[in-house]
Amino acid sequence: MSGQSNQPREPREIPTAFAIAEALRIAMASDPNVILMGEDVAGGGRRPEGTDEMGGIMSVTRGLISEFPNQVLDTPISEMGILGTAVGAAVTGLRPVVELMFMDFIGTCLDPLLNQASKFRYMFGGKARIPLTVRTVTGAGMQAAAQHSQSLYWMTAGIPGLKTVIPSNAADAKGLLLAAIRCDDPVVFCEPKGILFLSTDVPEGDYEVPIGKAKIVRVGSDVSLVGMGATVGMALQAAEELARDGISAEVLDLRSLAPLDEDAILTTLAKTGRLIVVDEATPRCGIASDVAALCVDKGFDFLNGPVRRVTAAMCPVPFTRVLEEAYMPSTARIVEAVRSLI
Amino acid sequence: MATVIAMPKLGMTMKEGSVVEWPLAVGEVVEKGRAVVLIESEKTQVEIEATDSGVLRHIYVEAGEMVPCGSVLGAITASMDEPFDAQAFRLENERLMGPATTAPSAHKHASRETVVASQDAAPRSGAAPVTPAARALARSLGIELDKVSGTGPGGRVTREDIEAFVSRRERLVEVSPGLNLEVLRQGSGVPVLLLPGFGVGVASFAPQIQALTAAGGFATIGLHARGIGASDAPQQDIYEVAAGAEDAAALAATLGEPVHLVGASLGAAVALEMALRYPTRVRSLTLITPFVDATPRLRAVADAWRAVARDASVDTLSRALLPWLFSQGVLGDDKLRERMQRGLSAALAVAPADALDRWAAGIAAWSGSRSADLADLSVATLVIAAGADLLTPRGEALGSAIAGATVCVLDSVGHAAASEAADAVSKALLDHLRAH
Repeated sequence: MSGQSNQPREPREIPTAFAIAEALRIAMASDPNVILMGEDVAGGGRRPEGTDEMGGIMSVTRGLISEFPNQVLDTPISEMGILGTAVGAAVTGLRPVVELMFMDFIGTCLDPLLNQASKFRYMFGGKARIPLTVRTVTGAGMQAAAQHSQSLYWMTAGIPGLKTVIPSNAADAKGLLLAAIRCDDPVVFCEPKGILFLSTDVPEGDYEVPIGKAKIVRVGSDVSLVGMGATVGMALQAAEELARDGISAEVLDLRSLAPLDEDAILTTLAKTGRLIVVDEATPRCGIASDVAALCVDKGFDFLNGPVRRVTAAMCPVPFTRVLEEAYMPSTARIVEAVRSLI
Repeated sequence: MATVIAMPKLGMTMKEGSVVEWPLAVGEVVEKGRAVVLIESEKTQVEIEATDSGVLRHIYVEAGEMVPCGSVLGAITASMDEPFDAQAFRLENERLMGPATTAPSAHKHASRETVVASQDAAPRSGAAPVTPAARALARSLGIELDKVSGTGPGGRVTREDIEAFVSRRERLVEVSPGLNLEVLRQGSGVPVLLLPGFGVGVASFAPQIQALTAAGGFATIGLHARGIGASDAPQQDIYEVAAGAEDAAALAATLGEPVHLVGASLGAAVALEMALRYPTRVRSLTLITPFVDATPRLRAVADAWRAVARDASVDTLSRALLPWLFSQGVLGDDKLRERMQRGLSAALAVAPADALDRWAAGIAAWSGSRSADLADLSVATLVIAAGADLLTPRGEALGSAIAGATVCVLDSVGHAAASEAADAVSKALLDHLRAH
């Protein structure tokens, strides 16, 4: 879809935050209709000196204002205003990318997503396009406390008409974000704290990771570990540990929560017969429960043991490090869950 | 018929309310839709409308009193002449309205009991759980699940258990109606039927199976007798040696040609019995550390074997048996002893205590019954006796009693000759098979 000729080239190891900035740069360069909006994404009021650009809460967009002075916009501190403006911009021809600092703030601006962006295409008989991307930081692990650490992607994944994606590494973050921006439907792009500053090999140039496709990131035969975002790394570590005891774990990275790649989940379940889903979100009404329900509903005869969910605790995210670690899923808890099945 | 005026529940959290004022006195006319009583909840005062016209017949709750939601406050009747029992009317309607303060807790109590009962019921009901994958596989293969034992967490039957059951089942041969015995085959060529000794499986012939397979031209057919391994275990007090011989002969009959018959210890007794009964099915006979009369020591060891097998682990059993089955040469060599013990454990693992009881009874019953018949044996026989055999010490004499038998005595070797002197036994066996 890109008008640019820069094809993927040699990968280098860069942090996810840089990979996201790279995707934004490519998207804005290849399409002048792509605009970036959010609190301090430009640097706080476009000061003439321009040197103290903040680049959003995680500094992901630092420096983009210099390269794209007409496409990067600071906004007032009003999530409702940002989302409302963005939905309007999207239906009238722009391709906005907005930054919602933390997904915890979605309560203040849900209506533009829940009742507007996600409904227009349906209500206008398919004639309306809403090429909106909402970038938002999710997850715990930075002692950001109860109001800045939640994994609320289950909320947007549960809204028909919205897509929700969550990368587990820098390379997927870049490709998924480019796909999200170029998608004509509204996409929520989650940026898990646990991977933002982790580096992986990222190809240069322009490429997309398809939305709705999960990926096997480790091949195994005894048990399937299904992860998303930061929990994929935990699952891979658990698989490494289990391999030392002769247990072969397959790891599936969902990458896209809505749409959900049901085929990929059922395929790995059929192969191993045992499945553990690892989710950083709270356990009720979530992706982990969805995956478990899918296994029972459409994969019943594949089940060679109970489906286990390794999730956060059903409580607010604690602030102190010790409690936060106890709250979150972990490699140790995954290993323990596997041992309970085999 | 009277109409009730009751304390309403005006909000999710409202549990009780108070009567502020009765605007009418008892006996005054009430109009449907007009205020009949003013009540107060935590948040607000509300006029309650009459739901019927008539007269205000009775006031139960005076102004200023607080009562639970649902309580009967007053009654309306068509006229003052209508028969009306104030007490009965209140009781009836309090019950029907269900006082809000007591009903929910009673309900909660009941539901908790239900949950406890159903939790109790679950683990008690029926057999071990079966995973859906195991159930589906069993269904597609036509396997009855109650025949499969589970090895998953909590005894759960898993897909792996079904697969293991299938591979065991594929090894089963029906030797007589309803009796399936486990047969382990390797190699192809002239059939060599292997009958292991008391309380051990075909694994006790592992070196010979390897030697015959390597030599080529032989199909080794190891038979797990009744009660051993995956073979059926008929509920009998005794497994007769003759029954073992019939089973082996029936298996031999399925092979289409006479077999080289090889037995060790109890297996040798069964082989001898079969060769006497069905000489035409036997191409050659090899008896390793055989007996026709069980010595008191053999019986005593078998007795101890049964007792230890019942009470202790396979590892303990193999340690206890080691001094009886192997020579001092093995016992004195740490590495060799360890290796023999590991092999013995593997061979012992397939024999449950019940089978040991039954075969021990079989040995006792058979002992001495064939001493006079050795001369009648008409097949080419090799007898391998062990010089340091504590359990069946008269092997060499037994060999000389069989006309034309080749007798091979292994000096300083214990009862488990096929393991301890594996190469010598294999070589003697191979020579004998090739000669016949």
